[in-house]
Amino acid sequence: MMWLSGGFVFRRGTSRYHRLDPRVKLLISVLMFVTTLIVRSLYELAFVLAFMVAVAAVATVLRRVLRTMMLTALFSAFIFAVNFIVTGNLEMSLLYSLRFVAIVVSTSLFFITTSPDELEQVMKTFRLPRDVVFAFVTAVRFIPVMLLDTIQIMDAQKSRGLELEKGNIFRRVRNMIPILIPLVVNSVVRSGELAEAMESRAYGAVPQPTSLVEYRSSLADKAVAAAAVVTFALVAYSFYYVLPVHFP
Amino acid sequence: MSDILEVKGLSFRYPDSTRRAVADFDLSVPQGEIVVLAGPSGCGKSTLLRAVNGLVPHMYSGEYGGEVKVGGVAVKDSSMRDLAQRVGFLFQNPENQIFMFTVERDVAFGLENLGVPREEMRTRVDEAMRLLDISDLAQRAPHELSDGQKQRVALAGVLAMRPQLVILDEPTSLLDPKTAAELVALVARLRRELGTTFVVVEHRLDLLVKVADRLVVMNEGRKVMEGTPRDVLFRDEAESYGVAVPAITQVQKMLAKDRLVPTSGLMTPAELAAAVGGGSR
Repeated sequence: MMWLSGGFVFRRGTSRYHRLDPRVKLLISVLMFVTTLIVRSLYELAFVLAFMVAVAAVATVLRRVLRTMMLTALFSAFIFAVNFIVTGNLEMSLLYSLRFVAIVVSTSLFFITTSPDELEQVMKTFRLPRDVVFAFVTAVRFIPVMLLDTIQIMDAQKSRGLELEKGNIFRRVRNMIPILIPLVVNSVVRSGELAEAMESRAYGAVPQPTSLVEYRSSLADKAVAAAAVVTFALVAYSFYYVLPVHFP
Repeated sequence: MSDILEVKGLSFRYPDSTRRAVADFDLSVPQGEIVVLAGPSGCGKSTLLRAVNGLVPHMYSGEYGGEVKVGGVAVKDSSMRDLAQRVGFLFQNPENQIFMFTVERDVAFGLENLGVPREEMRTRVDEAMRLLDISDLAQRAPHELSDGQKQRVALAGVLAMRPQLVILDEPTSLLDPKTAAELVALVARLRRELGTTFVVVEHRLDLLVKVADRLVVMNEGRKVMEGTPRDVLFRDEAESYGVAVPAITQVQKMLAKDRLVPTSGLMTPAELAAAVGGGSR
């Protein structure tokens, strides 16, 4: 699943797209996602994919998106094969497998251009409870820490003779136990320390905490959001009423 | 000056333990003092610190006796919300007290929780970052920081809440010698500039004795020694309680046996060199 993670990890960027209000970026990705689902022919899908590539270019993440596309396409070859074997319909099988690529890319575009900080903001917009948002923030915040932890534990266990890459699949899974136990223990200890630090910094003191950074939609953000909705409406309309349908 | 911290006959026993973690403990700390707490592992230092900032008994319940007062108000009767503003706690591992994705938002964490208005928060966050020389790191993510920088970020988050009393739990244990020396210098500077009181648990006494006003040695939950670092470290019992007596003090003690240097009062390397007729003055 490494190819997936590569297509979803945020890296800092300075493009206009990165600077958009995160809610607008979410809107664009959701609309692209929905468009992918209502597509009925390969021509339409090709248009949607081309549109995504254009967005990626604007967001200066073209190379990463193309890479994700390639890797996802490899995976969706499987979807194509299954569909083709079952239905024998070449166009529909292609459509379904490429649709999967488009779905991954539309989601990936949101995640690679939106910082965890902005994600938190989006969650707050949806009025999720503070505890839920904070649990998410902490989980993401500690990914690099846990990763480092895992590497250290693996090195320590390997130096004591643990052979991770040996044996059949069941053996390999069992080999992970000496890695997982210290990792879980470390995490439990860490969560205790986090709880102490949270208490010491007044977590939950008032029901409505304030925020240092204010996210406000600028006029440009609103214009982009409006343009996205209009584009979506036009595209959806033309899919159903203008363009010919190629298969039932 | 009045005492910012008063501990009177404090005893605490955890529910699943037969022994009291802290027993009949007394301590008074005047405003602006730097007090160092030393003693072997498991001697009750951590419990004592947690009784000062309210984690004991508010988060850890158990058999509680005696009284702890911060700024004249009993910790037991104060809320954690209240205590968080009066007592800052810098934990041993800075990693586990940085919550947010950027430095400035983490410094603001406590203030956000208290519902401080945005403009005031901005001022206090900028002030805390300036004080700790981390303004240029404001937009960095925690994993992009060195251990020393993480320590400063965590301390900035504590100071942004403007506490009267700051607790440091083995603040230099994860730092290299140079960064550790910088942290100690920082503590001295904050005391001078803000008049903040510090209670520090530390094993690296050689660095801290230079700035500390008082050294308290704990053993098995009790206070066994108390005085100026110069006096306490010079006494033979200090070593028996596992206190890491700085090398310079050990040299002075050896020389004092032959009456080459004074037999009391801790000396700095320069003073010692001068006393034996060497060094450059």
